[in-house]
Amino acid sequence: MSGGWVAKEMSEQGFKVAVIERGRKVTVEKDYTDFIDPWDAEHLNRKTDQDREEYPVQSKVYAFQSYTKQFWVKDKEHPYENAEGTDFRWLRGYHEGGRSIMWGRQSYRMSEIDFEANARDGHGVDWPVRYDDIKPWYDYVERFAGISGSMEGLDILPDGVFQPPHDLTCAELDFKANVEESFPGRRVIPGRVANLTEPTQEQMDLGRGRCQARNHCFQGCSFGAYFSSNSATLPAARRTGNMTLISDTAVHKVIVDETTGRATGVETVDIASGETKVITARVVFLNAGTIPTSMIMLNSANAAAPNGLANSSGMLGKNMMDHHSGARGSAILPGNLDKHTFGRRPNGFYIPRFRNHTEEAEGFVRGFGYQGGAMRERWWTSMGKEGVGADFKAAGRNPGPWRIGMIAFGEVLPNEQNHIRLHPNKTDKWGFPVPVLDVRWGDNERNMVRQAIRDTRAMLEAAGGIDIETDDPETAEPAPPGIGIHEMGTARMGRDPASSVLNAWNQSWDIPNLFITDGSFMTSGGCQNPSLTYMAFSARAANHAAELMKEGAL
Amino acid sequence: MTDFMLQRRQVFQSLIALSAVGGLAACGGAQDAPSGQVSGTAAPGYFNASEMALIAAVAQTIIPMTETAGAVQAGVPVTLQNLATDWGNAEFQQYWRDGLTALGTALTSEGGDSFTSLSPSERETALSAYDAGVFAGTTEDGFYRDFKATVVQAYYMSEPGATEELAYEPVPGEWIGCVPLSDFPKTWAT
Repeated sequence: MSGGWVAKEMSEQGFKVAVIERGRKVTVEKDYTDFIDPWDAEHLNRKTDQDREEYPVQSKVYAFQSYTKQFWVKDKEHPYENAEGTDFRWLRGYHEGGRSIMWGRQSYRMSEIDFEANARDGHGVDWPVRYDDIKPWYDYVERFAGISGSMEGLDILPDGVFQPPHDLTCAELDFKANVEESFPGRRVIPGRVANLTEPTQEQMDLGRGRCQARNHCFQGCSFGAYFSSNSATLPAARRTGNMTLISDTAVHKVIVDETTGRATGVETVDIASGETKVITARVVFLNAGTIPTSMIMLNSANAAAPNGLANSSGMLGKNMMDHHSGARGSAILPGNLDKHTFGRRPNGFYIPRFRNHTEEAEGFVRGFGYQGGAMRERWWTSMGKEGVGADFKAAGRNPGPWRIGMIAFGEVLPNEQNHIRLHPNKTDKWGFPVPVLDVRWGDNERNMVRQAIRDTRAMLEAAGGIDIETDDPETAEPAPPGIGIHEMGTARMGRDPASSVLNAWNQSWDIPNLFITDGSFMTSGGCQNPSLTYMAFSARAANHAAELMKEGAL
Repeated sequence: MTDFMLQRRQVFQSLIALSAVGGLAACGGAQDAPSGQVSGTAAPGYFNASEMALIAAVAQTIIPMTETAGAVQAGVPVTLQNLATDWGNAEFQQYWRDGLTALGTALTSEGGDSFTSLSPSERETALSAYDAGVFAGTTEDGFYRDFKATVVQAYYMSEPGATEELAYEPVPGEWIGCVPLSDFPKTWAT
């Protein structure tokens, strides 16, 4: 996700770039499965015992299917441990393009409110940037990536450079009207998603086409219609002639010259042969993914940095955040039975944060946003219905009522207790120490989930929903950490080298030619899906590094 | 609840909650899938001939041939045979064998006629009564619920089920959020 941006920007600036990828190369022909029809699904698309054996963690993610497992790691080959009493679900894929192939594509800006949040309520440290610093870079990455969305004029969720939005469904339009009338501080808007609805010439020149409304995104997209490193940034880097992608090669260490204090390159291990090599560079960017980036830096400890590279602050590996989920609701929305939909929208609606913004909250700081959708029920409801024969069959042919489903994603506070460490003696089969994750949610997250459930119920009731289903707001718990697949914060940016790993340019305070632009840098997480923010900061940091290189500072 | 039922419900929950509206059937993955096979009872495998005959008879009674394919014409019994033979573990297989045996007994008429020996209309009368009892809770048969769910899923994921009985667009080309039902009256297969 973020690494492709660095490769694109640096190679377009004229620098030679080596992209080191621990996984395999990905090709549309071999890896994408987006032309499979329902009847091609092996064994009704059920997971096998072998899947559960080889992928005990990954096989539970919603995007793991019989025809998408090529994009998820075999847990047995890539072990990690949870500290006692914790339950982190680490969901990932090791291949060219990483999670940018399987991501949910929801793309939201963080706002000034988010960048000020830590300073205002005292959790974590202050961001060293404000919205105006990153706004032009949001514009820049949105224009290139292609984000569909609607202009709404909301301070909590700034507008951007958008391609046309996906329509709301008839039932969603009614839901929107009811919610916005009953709760004037809430808005129901089309999701903002990295699928091309009106591709630009720049995008078409890269071989990307318009979204075909198949909603097969998790299988890879042969049309290149959603943003991935594979469809967009890596091809842009490749066409400069300056980028070399070295696959099946894991980075185990960043090598530092202790006399100059600068990184000189990385030590790599060939995944197939186990052979160790050194690749040298003027500047090193780590974009391994939040957890692996901390693993590499902790494993790069040396005499000058015994607690991990670039860790004079002691903050490396700490302050792990995700977005907590767990507040889910669904209901039937009566009416609109003479209406239907056409196509399969790879998207839904979004309700921007309103708690601790347009509405007060008790028992927690920060807030949550919702994603959801309302569609007519289809044949799967027949699986649990009474009846046999022609009448039963005929009933299945007619679309069912509109069912709305929604889920809240909430902000997690930075907390030093939530951290990654390396196991003192266990290693993977390449000799890399196994990470131990020690992450648990606290009262702020729990109270927020419970309020999100109450708010879900209230909105579903206001919309006339029937058959409303939610968890019990008195007893509900956030889903385990990791489920949001938004690991962030373990090499945070800050204003003070004593309490942060990176400066305002994603640059290590300790090692000036080391940059980190995956989710590690996030000083706070907001409640928005974070990938767009990684893209913007990656592009900004790469261009800053390029300037420093041209000036001779690096 | 069996593992696969649990799993299926999780799939539905995630579909609903994440509005991943393409959904369960939107895709596939296998190179050696049973597409094109439409014979009802011939596939060799875990289920024996009499079990396959009962599967075909009950499945076809749940989803009969009308102007479109019924369960047998859509290859549902073959799909179930492959599921039990190639996918199911020993526990799954035994659950189905025991369940089918009990179902066969339960559907045998008072006069001793097996379900498979009945005429289609007699089958519908008998199964309709049994189905009503299960869904009313007066008859306890969790297997029958699982069996029916699997038949329904296999049917609507089959090519005739998806493309003839329901409506299927492999490449819609565009998304329209609100259209008159009269323009697209059938349930979308995916």
